[in-house]
This record gives sequence, structure tokens and C-alpha cells, in this order.
Amino acid sequence: MNSVIEVDHLTKRFGRLVAVDGVSFSVHEGEIFGLLGENGAGKTTTIEMLEGFQSPDSGTVHVLGENPRHGHRHWRDRIGLVLQESDFDPLHTVRETLTLFASFFSNPRNVGETLELVGLSDKANERVGRLSGGQKRRVDVALGIVGRPVLLFLDEPTTGFDPVARREFWLVIEGLRETGTSMVLTTHYMEEAERLCDRLAIMSKGQIVAEGTSSALIGAVGATNVRFEFPQNVELSTLCSVAGTNFILHDNMVMALLGDELDSVLLRLLQWSQSTGTPLVGLEVVRPTLNDVFLGATGSDE
Amino acid sequence: MRFIRLSFSQAFYNLRAYLRSARTVLLGVIMPVGLLVILSWVFAHQGKIAAAAGYQMSAISFYAGGLTAYGLMLGTFTGVMVAVVSAREAGWLKRFRASPMPPGSYLAGQIIFNVLISMGLVVVMMAIAALVYGLQLRFIALVAMFCYTLLGVFCFTAIALAITRLITTPEMGSSVGPFVTITLSFTSGVFLPPSLMPRWLVDVSNYLPLEPLAQSMQTTLAVPVGTGFSLRTFIVLGIWGVVGFVAARWSFTWQPLRR
Repeated sequence: MNSVIEVDHLTKRFGRLVAVDGVSFSVHEGEIFGLLGENGAGKTTTIEMLEGFQSPDSGTVHVLGENPRHGHRHWRDRIGLVLQESDFDPLHTVRETLTLFASFFSNPRNVGETLELVGLSDKANERVGRLSGGQKRRVDVALGIVGRPVLLFLDEPTTGFDPVARREFWLVIEGLRETGTSMVLTTHYMEEAERLCDRLAIMSKGQIVAEGTSSALIGAVGATNVRFEFPQNVELSTLCSVAGTNFILHDNMVMALLGDELDSVLLRLLQWSQSTGTPLVGLEVVRPTLNDVFLGATGSDE
Repeated sequence: MRFIRLSFSQAFYNLRAYLRSARTVLLGVIMPVGLLVILSWVFAHQGKIAAAAGYQMSAISFYAGGLTAYGLMLGTFTGVMVAVVSAREAGWLKRFRASPMPPGSYLAGQIIFNVLISMGLVVVMMAIAALVYGLQLRFIALVAMFCYTLLGVFCFTAIALAITRLITTPEMGSSVGPFVTITLSFTSGVFLPPSLMPRWLVDVSNYLPLEPLAQSMQTTLAVPVGTGFSLRTFIVLGIWGVVGFVAARWSFTWQPLRR
């Protein structure tokens, strides 16, 4: 399978901070590759090196066979960008904004066809300043794809969306997948990554800590997730020693991924609950999700 | 050809937004015209005004020339700063940079756009001076006014670009621009005759870009023959312009500053 992106031991420092620390991965033609991580994990720095906005301190990047820092007009002709946030001149209509942008590319999509793809046909002659937040983000996607890119970068495209807008956005991306466009997507929404990405890499503190398809990553956990609300007046360490396992605390939920020891841990926990009269509010025993993979991989238990 | 086509696309894109924004059009035209009416009325009773070069000229030549230079600087300097900073902070410049658009066509588009609106200002100012105040407009003087307009737009675009790195928000640009322009206008013999200014201030202003431009525009409207051509104006504005572009080339960034 052909690769559209090859990244090898990529490193970027800002002063003493190592933002990206020896990252390697590749993205295949036609797939949606997800980069997951918390804020500050190095996702945006990585994607900016792929786009050619930052130069790596060491390591190599090849995007569509070229070094992005030396990517010339014909290279840029095949790349599309959907930025983390964007604003447009409110005095232009959607069509005018898109027409200016389309004029830069050698073989642009028809503006009307692009608007149809992102579901904005009925807003073509509306001034951008009168659009809702969700509609502006569609303009953003339209700008990203109007040049008929082979490769599209989406940097946290649904941050700030309401759930309905997010679902609609996913449909747009799935439509684009049908056209064979390769995509690199950064997100911190696990549901989004699980639904859209063919393969994904989880970044933490500048490194890739897990990589694969979401089902493989979930399968590799091979464990069951136990969680309940953090009881008041109890130390986390007490809970750990009572149950005989290492719990983590996240969003005021106590959780652990358990394998064979599941039955014995649950038994000890329930006995302790009964004897101390401490209810285990919201106790759940569930199959792991990508979110559990993420929490496990990034160790974000602080 | 592609470069020229894309430069004009950028210019017309800017022009369309400009014409749709009643506020900027009114400010860009009404401020210089209003000042022309007020100041030429105040100083009309004084008879001739001594411009910096020692020419004695009518109040209308002095103010029509000086305030056109002022309007040009206000519009171009502030306009380029605000346009570039808003486009940069909105991620629009980053998008441009990542596209196959030649980077120079964005700059060329800004220059063409500002030449167009400055030409518009010159036409309005000259029409009012001639029709309302009876200023004798000679053809050669109009040609000279247009040449000075090109020079002024080149120079102030360059200076504006050079300092965009220091301007973090569009709001900051829209206050720095008028502040610098109005301050310079006082020291450059635009609002008040230079004879009312301390000698050293006039001397310093000779090397700043507004004074030579204003004085050349005033002189070309006042002299009975020729254009009152001043090589000094081309040298001073040319140096500011070239230094501005060199500094801009070094400091300019396509990415938003705020993170």
C-alpha cells in the first residue's frame, strides 16, 4: 500500500520543552489517520511539521514524497487544510470566499459542487458574518477541499461543536472518504476518533504511546472496565489496598481496567462497601472503550 | 500572468469588502474632506501660508495637498496593518501560505487595492478643491499627484507590513495607525503651517515619510508652472519603503501570534 506520509524519528524542541519526541508513523493512501492526545501532547506541533509550518529539529518527514519545508506550488496544490479555528471576512458571501480560494489551485472543485459536499448550498449567497458557528466550520472544510486535495489535514475540526453539528460534520468527512481523499485528523474526542479513523496513534508528552486500529487498540486492552463515583471521606489509596488493585481517578470517577482478577476485586470491593456502609454510587462493569485505551496509554490519572 | 491575475483577485476581493463597509469608506473620505473644509476656512483669512520649502501658497493649496497626503497615510498605513493583522490572527494568512497562491500576490493585492482607494481619495479631494474653492487644477499637477500617490502607497504599505509583527490584534492596529498618522500630521505641516512649529521639529520631520509627501503634494498644487518636482521626496519615501520591505521580509509571519 502506498504511503502519503512517512514520519521517522521526528523531534521538535521549544527551548527546554521537547514538544515532539522521536515520533514515527506512516499514513496510507485513502485512509483517515487519527492523532489523539491531550492539549500539549504534541499533536498540533506534529501536524504543523507535516504542513511545513515548522521545521523539525531532527528526524525526517515526507508528505506526498516531499519535504514539507520545501513543498512548492505543485505540492501545495495537492494539500488541504482545515484549521483549529478560523474566521473569515464577514462582508463576503460564502460563494465569494470560496471563489477567491479556488482561484489559487490548478484544478479546483466547482464551487457549487463543493458547497453541496459540505451541505451549504442554500447558504451560497449568504454573507459569512451571518452564518452560525457550525456553518462557518463547514466553510472551513469547504476551503480545505475546494482545491481537490489528495491529502487533507483536519486539526481538531469539531472543537466547540454541539453534538448535532458534530454528527453532521462526521457525515461530511465520511462523504469525503468515499472520494478517496487521505486525511490526518487530530482530535480529543474519542467517539470521533473511534467512528472516523481507520488507524490512530495516541500521543502523550510528545511521544506515540499506542498505535493501531481502534478495535485492535481496544482488543489489546483485553480487560474490563470497573468504575464508580469517588466516595467521600475515603482515600484513593485505601480503596486500592482494600480491592487489591490500582485504581485511577478521572473526572471524580474511580476506575480500573481488570483482567483475570476482576471477580476477586469486585468481591472484595462489595464486601468492603457493605461492611463500612459506603455505597458504590454508579458502579459499572463495562467493556473498555477507546477512552479507556487513551487513559491507560497516557496515564492521565493526576 | 497567473501572478497578475491572482494579485488582482486579491485586490478586488479587498475592494468589495471595503465598499460594503460604509463605516470605513465614510471615515476614509469624510475625515480628510471635513478637515479640508474646517482648516481652509480657519486659515483663509491669514492670506498666504508659508509652506516648509518657503513657498508662499494659498490656504486651499496648502490644505488640499497636505490633507490628501494625510488621508493617504491614514488609509494605507492603518488599512494594511488592520487587514494583515486580522487576516493573520483569523488564520487566513496561514491558509494562504499553505495554498499554492504565490505569497507575493497577497502583497501585490494589498498595494493595488490601496492604490485604487487612494486614487479615489485624490479624485474626491481635487474635485472639492477645484469646484468648491476654485483651486486652479493643471493637468500636469494631477499627473504629479497620481505619481506621488503611487510612491506614498508603496512607502506606507512597506512600513505597515514591517511593524505587523508588533501588532497583536486588529484593534491595536486601528488605534496605532491613526495615532501615528495624526501625530506626524502635526509635525509635518499638514494641520498647521510649519511656521508655527519649532524649527527642530520641522527638521526631524523632513526625514519622516509624511512631511516630504505632504510638501510635494502642496507644492505641485501651488506652483503656477511645472510640478515643483522634488527629488528629496522620492529619496526619503523610497528609503523608508525599501527599508520597510526588507524589515517586513525578515519579520513577517503568516501564522497567528496568539496561542
